[in-house]
Amino acid sequence: MPRCSSSKSMSSSLFDSSLKSPGQRKKKRCRLWLRPCVHVLENTCVQSWETLHGLFSELCLCLCSPADPGKPADTSEELKLAVLRCLDALFHAAYGDIFFKLFEPVMLPGLGAAISLLLALGEKEKSRDIQVAALMCLQALTLQCDCTQDHVVPSPEERCTIGSTMASFLPGITTAVARIITGDLRQGHTVTVRAIKVWSRTVALVLDDTQLQASKPEKTSSDLGRIGQLMVRRTPDWVKSTVGKLSVLLKKIISCTSAHQHWKVRLELVELDDHLLSRCSQSLGECVGLLLEALVGAVNDEDPRVRERCEVALREVSQRNQSCGSSSAQTFTDVLSENLHSLATSLPRLMRTSDDQKKLFVLNVFLGYIKVLGPLVSVVLNSGAHLERISRALMQVLELDVMDVRIVEERSYAPSIETSSGSGYSDGAHIQRKHFLYFTDEKILCVLMEICRTLGYYGNIYLLTDHFLDLYQQSSVYRKQAAMVLNEIIRGAAGIAVATEGQGVESQVRGHSPTQEDLKVAVVSVMEEYTSLKNWHLITVSEETDIDRQDQQLLTPSRLLSISNSNFSSTNANSLQVIPSSFASTSTSSSSSTLHQLNSNIWQLCIQLEGIACFAQALGRDFRSLLMTSLYAVLEKAGEETLLVSQAALGSMRDISKACGYPSLKELINENSDYLLNDISVNLQRLSQHPQAPRVLTVMLTHSDSSLLSLVGDIVQDVLIALDLSYDHTAALFCSVLHALMKALARWFPPSCRRTSESARPKQTSTQKEVFNIRQFLLDQRKQKELAEGIGIEEDDSEDLEFPPPTECEDVEDLGGPDVKAELPPHLSITKDVMERCIHLLSDPSLRLRLKVLDVLELCVCVLSEKENELLPIVHRCWPALVQRLTADDPLAVLRAFRVLCTLGETCGDFLRRRVSKEILPKLSSSLTRQAPISAKAGPVYTHTLAYKLQVAVLQGLGSLCQRLDLAEADLDAVCEACLPYLSCRQPIRLQEASQSVFRHLIQVDPDAFWFTLNELHCPSSYIPPHPDLHPIQLSGMGRPRDEYSDNVLKLLREEFGSVAETVDQPVS
Amino acid sequence: MSRPAPSPFYTLRGAGGPLNTLHFSCHGGDSPLLFSGSGKGAIHIWNLNTRRTEKIVEGHAGSSVIWVSTLQATDTLISQGRDMQVCLWDLSESRSEVVDSVWTGSVGFCQCSMLETSPRNYLLAFAGQQSEEIKIIELPSKTPVCTLVPDAKLGMVMCIKLWQPDSGPGPLLLAGYEDGSVLLWDVTQRSKLSQAKAHPEPVMCLTFDTKRLRGISGSSEKKLSSWIVDRQNNLQIQECVTLVNPGVSQLCIRGDGKLLASAGWDHRVRVFGWKKLRPLACFSTTLTWCKALLSLTTRTPKKDCWLLDPRTSGSACGQYTTRGLTLAEL
Repeated sequence: MPRCSSSKSMSSSLFDSSLKSPGQRKKKRCRLWLRPCVHVLENTCVQSWETLHGLFSELCLCLCSPADPGKPADTSEELKLAVLRCLDALFHAAYGDIFFKLFEPVMLPGLGAAISLLLALGEKEKSRDIQVAALMCLQALTLQCDCTQDHVVPSPEERCTIGSTMASFLPGITTAVARIITGDLRQGHTVTVRAIKVWSRTVALVLDDTQLQASKPEKTSSDLGRIGQLMVRRTPDWVKSTVGKLSVLLKKIISCTSAHQHWKVRLELVELDDHLLSRCSQSLGECVGLLLEALVGAVNDEDPRVRERCEVALREVSQRNQSCGSSSAQTFTDVLSENLHSLATSLPRLMRTSDDQKKLFVLNVFLGYIKVLGPLVSVVLNSGAHLERISRALMQVLELDVMDVRIVEERSYAPSIETSSGSGYSDGAHIQRKHFLYFTDEKILCVLMEICRTLGYYGNIYLLTDHFLDLYQQSSVYRKQAAMVLNEIIRGAAGIAVATEGQGVESQVRGHSPTQEDLKVAVVSVMEEYTSLKNWHLITVSEETDIDRQDQQLLTPSRLLSISNSNFSSTNANSLQVIPSSFASTSTSSSSSTLHQLNSNIWQLCIQLEGIACFAQALGRDFRSLLMTSLYAVLEKAGEETLLVSQAALGSMRDISKACGYPSLKELINENSDYLLNDISVNLQRLSQHPQAPRVLTVMLTHSDSSLLSLVGDIVQDVLIALDLSYDHTAALFCSVLHALMKALARWFPPSCRRTSESARPKQTSTQKEVFNIRQFLLDQRKQKELAEGIGIEEDDSEDLEFPPPTECEDVEDLGGPDVKAELPPHLSITKDVMERCIHLLSDPSLRLRLKVLDVLELCVCVLSEKENELLPIVHRCWPALVQRLTADDPLAVLRAFRVLCTLGETCGDFLRRRVSKEILPKLSSSLTRQAPISAKAGPVYTHTLAYKLQVAVLQGLGSLCQRLDLAEADLDAVCEACLPYLSCRQPIRLQEASQSVFRHLIQVDPDAFWFTLNELHCPSSYIPPHPDLHPIQLSGMGRPRDEYSDNVLKLLREEFGSVAETVDQPVS
Repeated sequence: MSRPAPSPFYTLRGAGGPLNTLHFSCHGGDSPLLFSGSGKGAIHIWNLNTRRTEKIVEGHAGSSVIWVSTLQATDTLISQGRDMQVCLWDLSESRSEVVDSVWTGSVGFCQCSMLETSPRNYLLAFAGQQSEEIKIIELPSKTPVCTLVPDAKLGMVMCIKLWQPDSGPGPLLLAGYEDGSVLLWDVTQRSKLSQAKAHPEPVMCLTFDTKRLRGISGSSEKKLSSWIVDRQNNLQIQECVTLVNPGVSQLCIRGDGKLLASAGWDHRVRVFGWKKLRPLACFSTTLTWCKALLSLTTRTPKKDCWLLDPRTSGSACGQYTTRGLTLAEL
């Protein structure tokens, strides 16, 4: 409702009469009178000075205690509130021209009394409403009210009057309000917010830049007398001393509110900063730093509203300082860079001493400064002192904790690489977190990284990379941190993951952004340093454990576990067994400093690998041309045994392939295989200096597909030639390459037809389930009989032809084709070449190597199985060496050789059958038979002997061999005979188990025969014929008392013929 | 040679056949290119910055390419194949088509020699249908310039080198013959200027430094024989260099006239200082028999020279850098 001028004069006269001396009235009546008074004031204007003055002093009187006019009266809260409302309404209703009379020097005492009253109310009262109302009154008094009503807009001169008058009260107001702000934490946020508002407005009013700059001599009338002493002249000296005091208060306020729980308080603090910075940034001098710090600290506030406001404020600040005169911009930059410098100086100390919350705040402030400086960062960094300080701070803060033992311990074995390649992008099970010495919170790391990125974004990329590369080279202490910083700087320079507030403004501001070419040059220089010999080929595995580990790696996988992990490993005499994972403890005890070093190396590599991924991200597709040098290095690390490093390398490879636009790792490797292979072939020739080359090839093979083959062929020849040249030293290394190669070939070219596997393997024990068809059985038997007598032999393709000897099959081929043999597909010719080498290596003195070679051989057989004409001759040549492994080697090798034999049995069963039955079975069975009584009688020490292990190995392998080879009956009998003694319960338990396994396999080959054999030994039940005409069955095992064999025989019968035994059992019982 | 031989700087793979000939081309701004002619009739154009094949052109109906060269001014490639054709290719604007071809009639292995007389025209010398004759024609007009046949029986032409002396009016031609003689011909006069018996065996290769007027030739024996052309255009045999193993298939002088490289039948590339013929280095390819091929360039700033040799599979040429060698006094 507009305040109409006609009514206002009337009403004001009404006030005049009624309000002459309210002081004498009773308080109660006073309150009654106040209500309409507020209403009237709200709707009218006060035009006459007398009214205003009168009302003002009356209301003040109402508030103060009669005894002590300086203190608020001890009246009811309602009354105080009502009076305050009334005062507020009065200030709003007063006309502009008369209102300013309040600020004439004559009024100083009265005004002072009112202000101190209001302050006392604001500070001491318990009721929040009164506190707020008192503070509002203060605001309204200085015409700084922010309510929705109309306000008098003072002219500059009038503002100046108010300002100079208020200068007298500034100390009082600021200290008192600061007390309110920093007072009770439990007071409501409204009070605090209001108080902050009063503080900032008052300060801004008094120390307004424009007022102070005008600085016209304020005329002081000499007739004021004592009042004149109250007047304050805003001279530069006064301003300086005031600002000094203010800065103390400000520090208190900021420290109290910057981390306040309520977002509105923090928002108000931002408002304060903004208000003061915009109004009086020049007069405030030393406070500007504090204000900026507070403002910058709020940039990363958790509340988005605060953040937004703060960003707006900061943008205004930076714009204001760029737009206005160069001198002020200079000072502003100076302040900022000064702040940054001092913060950087104290940062390491703060990071060591304060808690995570505080650290986060400090770092946010740091980040904020850099953001506010924006493009000026590069100017600041041009100062050597600043750059030095900042970089030192980062180096110290980012120091890694390298004490974690597990990092060195963890190993990635070939299988783990395999699985991870298969699953494609499923990231490694866990990405190891970096542990820092001075903080644990992940958020802190994020902020630190963002600081680096922002530095890179605004700073000069050449300067920064040069400087941090210097640090990187300077000392190993800083190397990891410097690498981390470099990675992020380059990412930031490319504009990745940099929070750009207000894109439009930003793009203008960041005028000098580095070109792609600059970036590339920087990346190349950093990457050269990373991958240089001394920084890339770091030791991550302690030497003495290396051999242990390789042994373990060979021994642990697959079925051998059953042997090596048994209870006798600790007192093992011939040192074949490896005590699993015991080396970790030994290495820690031996030297913790080296462990430290290893850990540090591992982390350095990881960070550098991450760096290469960062560079790829920064350059995008342009990184493709750098793959020539970088990809080999990364692959080298992907083949590393240390789990952390290889995982980091794989992750890096994924990032690179993504950044360069390859759909997957496979394409990354395939399309750059020429670069990789070149390095591999060069390095293979100087293997002593570059022992990693085979490893890279291994990684390539595991991650690629058959399209690689055409190029790999060349390299494989290199490998084989290099192997031929130095069997002694490098065989082990190359063997792992050959293993990887054959594994890859087996994966790329899965054998199309397993010829004999189906026929050789009889249907599993399903015979039990089948309904026994007597008619079919009789028919079959008749047919067999006829065959045996020679009837119908023509139409049946019999087994007489069996297998042609190897020489013959070559002849056949020669006859059939022209003189020139058809060229083999590359993978087969490679396999053949590899197998040739295996023949020689099979008899290598090193057991480890022999085991590996046997593995390779098995894979070779698999791959070559599709071309029998090629396979058989080479198997023929392998045979003597293989026989040696089977019959006269270490148990481990025997077992492995059995596996090869089984694979051979699957692929060329016919070819092997006679050889096995002639050369191998007799030896094995005779040795088994010979050893059986010995082991049955031997004591517990026997399990540590080689003979025992050999027995176990042979028994474990024999069963599956018999089954695979589809041996003739006589051979099976021989096997059976040799194994039967081991069913005795006097044998060591593992021999019994192994022997059982042989019988299980045998039963699958010929269930009936072995049922009979077992029953001959021990028959648990008697069989009564279903019809009296049939003869009763007599088995020699029937009715025998329990003996040494009964347990195992019964177990076998139950397991293999379980249902039969039960059904038979039932009628007996 | 106390230091171990340097390993190849890079190996270019994927040519898919034995390589017979190489040629560098480094135009101003573009990335340097290497042309290779394979035994299967393909010419690979390698970009030496990316180290990958930029283009493969196939001509000569699958018969092996024994010589490739490019013209300075235009994007023209000239290739000689064992199908007795010399083809001119237009490679500009990523085309690759035969614009012209010349029938040589030679069944030998003698490589052509080309001399650019003006930006447009150039002379091409090649062995003719008769085993001893050398034909020279002007291209692109295909005008026959002359046919050079020696009076005496010298056997087949093995290698030729066409060059323009600074003093004389017309181009001269150096030719090595089966009986070991080297002849100097005047192309404009169509006459023999001089003759020297450089080797007892056939001259397998020769190269000539037009600034020093000094040349060197190799044969199937152990010796390299150097000779000069004096003011009267007489060939004078100078010193000999004795190698460890017999047989030299190719000789090449670096553009700045400081290095000479020889490719031997023993799979070794030997580098000599050209001035005093002092041996400097020996690069071994260790792997295969090779008909080593050479091409030296000084244009790539970081590498002093590039020596290339193919493997049996032909899929590779190794680039060796001689940076690690003491080349200071050269």
